[in-house]
Amino acid sequence: MYETLKNILVETLKIAPEQVTPEATKDDLELDSLAVVELSMVLGKEHGLHISDEELQDVETVGDIVALMEERRGAGR
Amino acid sequence: MSGLDIAVTGLGLVTPGGVGVEASWAAVRAGRSTAAHDPALAANEVSISCRVPDFDADALLGARRAVRLDRFAQLALVAAREAVADAGFGADAWDPMRVGVVIGTASGGGETFERQHGVLVREGAAGVSPLLLPMHLPNMVAGQVAMDLGVLGPNLVVSTACASGATAIGTACDLLTAGRCDVVLAGGAEALLNPLTMAGFARMGALSTTEDPAAASRPFDAGRDGFVAGEGAAVLVLQRARDARAEGRRVRARIVGYGASADAHHITNPHPRGRGVRTALLGALVDADAAPGDVDHVNAHGTSTPLNDLVEGRLLAELLPGKPLVTSTKGVTGHLLGAAGAAEAAFSVLSVEHGLVPPTANLDTLDPRLEIDVATAEVPRALDLVLSNSFGFGGQNAVLAIAKP
Repeated sequence: MYETLKNILVETLKIAPEQVTPEATKDDLELDSLAVVELSMVLGKEHGLHISDEELQDVETVGDIVALMEERRGAGR
Repeated sequence: MSGLDIAVTGLGLVTPGGVGVEASWAAVRAGRSTAAHDPALAANEVSISCRVPDFDADALLGARRAVRLDRFAQLALVAAREAVADAGFGADAWDPMRVGVVIGTASGGGETFERQHGVLVREGAAGVSPLLLPMHLPNMVAGQVAMDLGVLGPNLVVSTACASGATAIGTACDLLTAGRCDVVLAGGAEALLNPLTMAGFARMGALSTTEDPAAASRPFDAGRDGFVAGEGAAVLVLQRARDARAEGRRVRARIVGYGASADAHHITNPHPRGRGVRTALLGALVDADAAPGDVDHVNAHGTSTPLNDLVEGRLLAELLPGKPLVTSTKGVTGHLLGAAGAAEAAFSVLSVEHGLVPPTANLDTLDPRLEIDVATAEVPRALDLVLSNSFGFGGQNAVLAIAKP
């Protein structure tokens, strides 16, 4: 899931790969509210992980987002 | 006389001739059309365009910034950075509160708008990008330039169709003359080579249907049959001439007159006797305290459409009896739409600076109804006063008078 998220951040949102670490915060990556909506859309559309932008707004780090993705994948089974 | 005396201290250009002033000017001087069949328009009834070659937005602006900009804003940012560097301004060389930005565009982010409309049709509203409006809104181009350069003064986008770039420069001159700014970045930006917009132009009958792209844009030629759309951006750094001299800056040329008017006639056709154009052109001369016989050269609007070139050419012959040497750089660049007036003002500045009139590409046989002197090859000539004409659908006209430093 971490690699999936990293790929989205790098390929779609064009964040430099070296910036993406589990500890990086949304502020570190300049993930503003628009980027969070983009991320939510890509996760749902391309990976079947339905996480709302409000949920993504409530978490801080890349690691937190990965945890949310893991949780949502589990819930989908 | 209005006392208009504005120095051009920096230039930035991104045109179908290339990225940068040097490449763009060299292409215009060479007098060869940049038009080509455009794969993105392959399904359109007219598929010829003039695109900016080798424009790598990721490399020039950084991928993170570029991905959030429509192409018209990408082009503008690159031109603005070049202009500021050319003028020799660093981050601490100006008071950001006193630096304004005025950019003209006819449409804004048309490419983004069309792409996202496709998403809406295919996927529904939930698929539409949250970046649709920040990338599409016309005002974003000036906002993005301000964000990029950290300038905090008045920030405007003007839209007068294909006169937009010239209107922006005129508006910037007014801001400087009124003392509202000390420096203004002024210009135009357009990137509308998307299938929807181009279909609209084609359905109007505005585009050339000549099969050979290189021969399609032929201003003032008897065989012209419409314009070739292009994309690009131009930004000029403008300051009051006395300030530029006091700061010891290189003044490339001065803007000494600006005339603006409306035809109040028709949505697309020019007034048959050039009513609005006459007002704008004479207004620029009055502003410049110049007589018609003082004009050495006209960078004409010269779209290569049957109607524009006939009305404009006849009016130039009537109003400027000294027969200034006329050129239309659209033969090379195509019609940059909302960026055209700014790019052509920049070419006029370069003409004054280098003392030469660039050729009009593809002028094989001058329309016999026109008694004007059109350059078909590069002509070295000392130029004291140059007019740059720009006219837009809706009957909006802007003429700039540009003089030696």
